[in-house]
Amino acid sequence: MNPVRSLRPAVVTVLLAVPTLVAQAPAGTLVMGLRQEPTAPIPYLGPPTTGNADVTDQLFLRLATLGPTARTTGDRAMVPELASRWSRVDATTVDFTLDPRAHWQDGTPVTADDVVFTWNLIHSPELGVDLTALALIRSVTATRTGEIRVRFTEPSSEQVYTAGFLLQPLPAHLLARMPASGIASSDFARSPIGNGPFRFERRVPGQSLELRADPSFFLGMPGLKRLVFLYIPSTDAQVNALLAGQTDVMSDVPATALGRIEKQGNYRFVTAPGNFVTYVLFNARSPGNPRLAHPILSDSLTRRALALSVDRAAIARQAFGPGVQTPRAVRSQAWFWVGGAMDAGRADTARARAAFRAAGWVDHDGDGILDRDGVPLRLGIIYPVQSSVFSAIAVQLQQMWRMMGVQLDLEPIDGPVWVERRRTGRFDIDIAGANQDPSPSSLAQSWSCTSAERAGSSNVGHWCDPEFDRLRDRAPTLPDPISGFRAAFTRMAAWQPAIVAAAPANRIAVHQRFEHVIVRPSKAWTSLWQWRVRADAMLPRDR
Amino acid sequence: MPCCPATARMASWVVRRLAGAVLVSIIGIAVLVALVHLLPGDPLTAIVGDRALDPASRRVMEHDLGIGRPLPVVLMSFFRDALQGDLGHSLAERRPVTAILADRLGPTMLLGGLTLLIDFTLGVLLGVWSALHPRTRAARLLDSLTLATYTVPGFVIGLVLIWGFAVHWQWFPPALIADPLLPTDASTWTVLIDRLKHLVLPVTTMVLATIAVPLRQQRSAIVGTMSQPWVTAARARGVATRRVIWQHLWRPALTPVISLLGLWLPMVVAGAVFVETVFAYPGIGALLANATAQRDIPVVIGAGVVLVVVVQLGSLVADVLYRIVDPVQREPV
Repeated sequence: MNPVRSLRPAVVTVLLAVPTLVAQAPAGTLVMGLRQEPTAPIPYLGPPTTGNADVTDQLFLRLATLGPTARTTGDRAMVPELASRWSRVDATTVDFTLDPRAHWQDGTPVTADDVVFTWNLIHSPELGVDLTALALIRSVTATRTGEIRVRFTEPSSEQVYTAGFLLQPLPAHLLARMPASGIASSDFARSPIGNGPFRFERRVPGQSLELRADPSFFLGMPGLKRLVFLYIPSTDAQVNALLAGQTDVMSDVPATALGRIEKQGNYRFVTAPGNFVTYVLFNARSPGNPRLAHPILSDSLTRRALALSVDRAAIARQAFGPGVQTPRAVRSQAWFWVGGAMDAGRADTARARAAFRAAGWVDHDGDGILDRDGVPLRLGIIYPVQSSVFSAIAVQLQQMWRMMGVQLDLEPIDGPVWVERRRTGRFDIDIAGANQDPSPSSLAQSWSCTSAERAGSSNVGHWCDPEFDRLRDRAPTLPDPISGFRAAFTRMAAWQPAIVAAAPANRIAVHQRFEHVIVRPSKAWTSLWQWRVRADAMLPRDR
Repeated sequence: MPCCPATARMASWVVRRLAGAVLVSIIGIAVLVALVHLLPGDPLTAIVGDRALDPASRRVMEHDLGIGRPLPVVLMSFFRDALQGDLGHSLAERRPVTAILADRLGPTMLLGGLTLLIDFTLGVLLGVWSALHPRTRAARLLDSLTLATYTVPGFVIGLVLIWGFAVHWQWFPPALIADPLLPTDASTWTVLIDRLKHLVLPVTTMVLATIAVPLRQQRSAIVGTMSQPWVTAARARGVATRRVIWQHLWRPALTPVISLLGLWLPMVVAGAVFVETVFAYPGIGALLANATAQRDIPVVIGAGVVLVVVVQLGSLVADVLYRIVDPVQREPV
């Protein structure tokens, strides 16, 4: 099935259902539960949690944002936000012109100096910002006419995305005099002043955070009067809060709660391509000595055989319910615009057995475990014990591989220990999940030869395939970047550095009283300011 | 010259007991800091998550946050700062740990205090009643019910209560400690009612999960005291039944319950972690669990310090009550 064809109608339906907005006073309250507490909802300054990101997106705009297609390639794919337009000077230079109406919530206009200041600030080692995704940018300067001139290291169709979407300006007039290390604990961090549709109102630590509509927001009057984020870390507690009417929306609704929410009748589901992907990662290096290749998993035929033994569709369905996909490359649904490398995810045990035999794995001693040169096909898998989804996946893998003569030892471990084991490469197989960036180019952060050699990189499996790197890096420079990315995915699928267990959709339950509901792929809540409450369905808290 | 030798003896004993508690607390906190220091896992994860950090940034951040220092240095600086009321800054929140603890201590004391109050009033009264009416149907029912709720994990009781009273009937809210939508200028009465509504389900859960212990402790203590000679003598002297029960039977049977109180106090502070999770209740237990999972070391230590102090406080309160209730304890040795 072509994923582009299957997903596009869902997205388009959501977006086309939005009538023209009429400026009127904001009304209504939206209450949302967050699994992670928004402790510092400021770009680059707080821990990079989804809790912080979801609130940050309401307070701080970007120069440009993703359009309805969620494409990141092409100068015209992005939609203006702080920048009203951009123009290409040459193949490696783009000028962004700020919208003259854009202003900080204290009334100060947003200027090119803010962007330049932010660009310089994020290079401070005290902030520990991961600059990998911004590597395409060579410099950011202000022109004499007040425009932002961004120079890039090479021609690429993702230049506007990189500078426009990944740079989120901070107010220079408020922060420039502070040392970088002091900003995170400053008054500004406690009560941030942004340039987005909502203003920071108050935060009750450990409980809630409230934003109020900014009537002077330059892109239009927000439809909602206030947003209230409740810190509810447990998924079960989030479902209960939704069913009891304490919250209005819930994202990533678990499959187990679908029936109860549907039956309750107050909510409808909106589905958007999710940016989460779960995969079973093979370690390319020996866990005991990272300089050596892994004695079993460095063999591509063995990896292929292991992958063919797994019924990914069954795992995905059980873990995430309907709407889940099983791509062959490590790619979430948010990259639906690229397409390619997708299958039904069924196991092919006949081909798996043949592949094991071809790789030399045969049960010579009749103990039920395949062996080669006297070495049994025995592997360990690590995963965080706190994750019930990962635990279920590990148990299913163990059963599926046992049927094929592979012994898998389960190692559920405490979350931080799991992170450390991953970081230091002390594992055979690892179950991981990732919220992927909007661009497939971000695969370079975890799946490139450069990151394989860099200490502390997120390429914890030390995967390096120069051909995949070449295809991925070349894709944005091609006249048809989509087919370039598709070729990279196909290469990754054949190379098999991991088994993709599931790429779930983002299933969002929304209270029936909301209209103009827009949910964006990759960044679900960036259009929240356009949501409204139907006048005839207001609750006391909406007034 | 003190007017009352007994009072002076008591005051002197309390001072000595307090000094002992401080010493034990210091040792306990030192052990706690050392153990937390030895925990496996990378604390920088609390800040950077799984994102890539170049070695230079990693070094700067580790230095700024005091990660990777040797244990003696950590201990020295911890006690030096703690004496000035500084327990450090949260790695995840970048706020002072004392401020974070202050936010969480109130809700925890409220939940724990109410649980304690109900357990040790209703539980004790039911224990006395149950001991005096051992063969009645009601006593057997009470016994079975409290045993059942004791054996079921607290979070399961919480989920059942939420399903019934929050989701189905919507009488009480299922999460948090207060309604964040309440206007800031709401009347005290409105705020009070709101707080009480939020407390009903978590407190009921905690009480149902724990009340069996003081109830059974009190019942067996009463049953054990019933056969004591002074009770038989009082009855033989024709002392009124009510007086026999409360003066000759209940008071001596209170000492095991008081020792339980000493153990109970830290339990209700730290042991509410599952209930706090189910109800998204912003208490110390959930904070400690979350901070441990994130390796937010200063917060783990700060919450641990609170628990050490509460344990010592519980023990001190129990000892003082012992001496008040039991005259033998007050006699000079």
